Amino acid sequence: MQIYELAWIIPLLPLVAFLIVGFLGGKMKDKGATVALVGVGSAMVLALLVAYQALTAGFDGGARYFEQSFNWVSVGGYNLDLGIYIDTVTALLLIVVSFVAALVVIYSVGYMHDQGDRRRRYYTEICLFVGVMLGLVLANNFLQLFIFWELVGLCSYLLIGFWFERPAAASAAKKAFLVTRIGDVMFMVGLIVLLTTFKTLDFHTLFDPAVIAGVDQGMLGLGLFFMFGGSIGKSAQFPLHDWLPDAMEGPTTVSALIHAATMVKAGVYLVARMFPLLIFVPNVGMFIAIIGGVTALMAATMALNSPLIKRVLAYSTISQLGYMFLSLGTGAYLFGIGMQTPDLAAAEALKVAGSIAFAAGLFHLMNHAFFKALLFLSAGSVIHYVHTEELKLMGGLRKHMKVTSTVMLIGSLSIAGIPILSGFWSKDEILSSVFNASGSTTQWVFLLLWLMGVITAFLTAFYMFRMWFMTFGGEEGEATKHATQTKGEHVGAHADEHGHAADVHEHHEAPLSMLGPLVVLAILAVGSGLVVFIGQGFSGTIWFGVAEAFSLDKILGDWLTYLSVLVAIAGITLAWLTYSKKKVDAGAIASNPSVRPFYNLLLNRYGFTKGYNFIGEKVVYGFSLAVDWFDRNVIDGIVNLISRDLIGSGKRLRKMQTGLVQSYSAVIIGGVVALIILLYVLGYVLKVI
Amino acid sequence: MIPLEYFLILSSILFVIGIVGVLTKKNAIIVLMSIEIMLNAANINFVAFATYNNDPKGYMFALFSIGIAAAEVAVGLAILLNLNRLKDTVHVDDLNSMRW
Repeated sequence: MQIYELAWIIPLLPLVAFLIVGFLGGKMKDKGATVALVGVGSAMVLALLVAYQALTAGFDGGARYFEQSFNWVSVGGYNLDLGIYIDTVTALLLIVVSFVAALVVIYSVGYMHDQGDRRRRYYTEICLFVGVMLGLVLANNFLQLFIFWELVGLCSYLLIGFWFERPAAASAAKKAFLVTRIGDVMFMVGLIVLLTTFKTLDFHTLFDPAVIAGVDQGMLGLGLFFMFGGSIGKSAQFPLHDWLPDAMEGPTTVSALIHAATMVKAGVYLVARMFPLLIFVPNVGMFIAIIGGVTALMAATMALNSPLIKRVLAYSTISQLGYMFLSLGTGAYLFGIGMQTPDLAAAEALKVAGSIAFAAGLFHLMNHAFFKALLFLSAGSVIHYVHTEELKLMGGLRKHMKVTSTVMLIGSLSIAGIPILSGFWSKDEILSSVFNASGSTTQWVFLLLWLMGVITAFLTAFYMFRMWFMTFGGEEGEATKHATQTKGEHVGAHADEHGHAADVHEHHEAPLSMLGPLVVLAILAVGSGLVVFIGQGFSGTIWFGVAEAFSLDKILGDWLTYLSVLVAIAGITLAWLTYSKKKVDAGAIASNPSVRPFYNLLLNRYGFTKGYNFIGEKVVYGFSLAVDWFDRNVIDGIVNLISRDLIGSGKRLRKMQTGLVQSYSAVIIGGVVALIILLYVLGYVLKVI
Repeated sequence: MIPLEYFLILSSILFVIGIVGVLTKKNAIIVLMSIEIMLNAANINFVAFATYNNDPKGYMFALFSIGIAAAEVAVGLAILLNLNRLKDTVHVDDLNSMRW
């Protein structure tokens, strides 16, 4: 018996914890934190074992995947299964989801300690969130994936609205739910199209090239296009991206989970799962790449002047997800073109490029999970300390939060793409894939996308370090001063009663359960990119169609590498000059009349918030009013008319009920006489005929 | 032998008299009596047909019918007696409490 045969237990462990905490958490002293830890932690251990086996040893008989399933529904030629499907992509997601989730739960113990009884709700929802995300990753067909997909959406709604008594949080939760719902409906349409095309949604049938080649390619393209719509909603891509910045209303740990492990990564995972189908319709691949590129650049610009620390990170997530879609889309396009190329050598080269782009996108998914979880949890630590999210009020925190500032610096360097740190490897790989795509197919689209990617890289470096310098560098801000004073008093007042609590505050830092995960994630943010040096490298382990071993020479010999590093350093330098050295006056530039409109445009998120509100308040509400009118007047009118007539005729008819026996008997006798006459007439008529 | 038609005409006349009595008389006791007349009209038919068809089942039905009529009258008179005690009337037009 192989360990991966037990993989079906992985999602059940957090779900069992979900039930236990949900029903009994209120009686526990820590409101279920321990149970949640055990549930998620054991899922992590099992997931890591399974993933290790899948990535290193492979499966029995040299198969590319492992599947366990049973028949769920079999109706009218349609077959639907329930089961698990493990391949290298699943393995990667298992590692990322379970590991980050476990660290977030550990962190939560410290971060949520002052939340009292509502911690039960928190741990319940977190366990469900992790469980369904693991279920989503392990699903062996698109319908099962869709079921978990919806549950993930539900959990994010619940958790974003954790502090539902705050109107902003309540509306952010609703917004997240409704906006992703648009994508979900598109996903469902895509599912129905695929189901009618293939008669099944099982991965092992759908991924068979012979089967795919035998179906209507137009329907296939349509189905994939709609399914990508689901990804757009879930992964907050243009034009459905606007829910993610608002989702910052939830607890920071939830943001970390949504951004790094669950929810938004589901969209990327879906595209990676669709990859064997996407290569048959390269145009959808190109569409994905364009959406990704546009989103990456647009979100990066919005992060430039965001006043809130978490919102900067939210925009950066959207932007980095854009990178992933850019890479996956490019990969699908290249591979698809490669399959249509008759020239064998050229076709092989295109397929290799496609496979590398595919791997690069997933590589970035993994690295991003680690450094984004790190950045969010560090931001949580900062917010825990200063009790504000306003960047302007922070500043000078480096003295007080040595560990946090260091790990956040590591995370920022990583996302900016400084060599050796993880972000560098994947981002460089993505950019070079996109650039090479423009060369090989002589299409200006990819050149433009590459350019957007490079600009995004520059902007990323700039806004991340703007955030870092504004938080930790420079003068002490109001919130910093206030926090250091109250912390001092706090230590004095509580030192006698709570010995260990005082210990924590003496460091002027977050408690150990918060710093521990930060340090682990910091190590990964530095080191996760170095997997390229292990064995066949990332693209030699997780590949599609063609395995391509990693080569350092190729990266060192490519001018693109130096360009991306240069761009990152330029961004950091500009941020340093502006926000640390104050050589560049950001305020003056912002208030310059020619820049001001653009500055406000970014603050207003390109008007998307307004646009959403317009659609919600005017279009949808107007339509609802019309429907409401129709319902009240036409539908209800018909129903009321019928009932009014019935009541009226009843009112008139009941007058017959006189209560006089003789009138009743008169009616009976009259009826009998009439019946006799009728029978006579009928008999006569029948006889005549 | 008296022809069958004579019996049928007699019973029809009795039946119509009964109907007119039931529909027009206001005294509940007379209504009850009219019902008895209608029943007896039917009995005459039973007996007449039984004799002409040589089938004794008809006599049997007539006897049954007479027995049931006796029972019915007993019940009916009991109801009327109680009505008279409660409402102080046996006038059918006054007994209209089961109306809309």
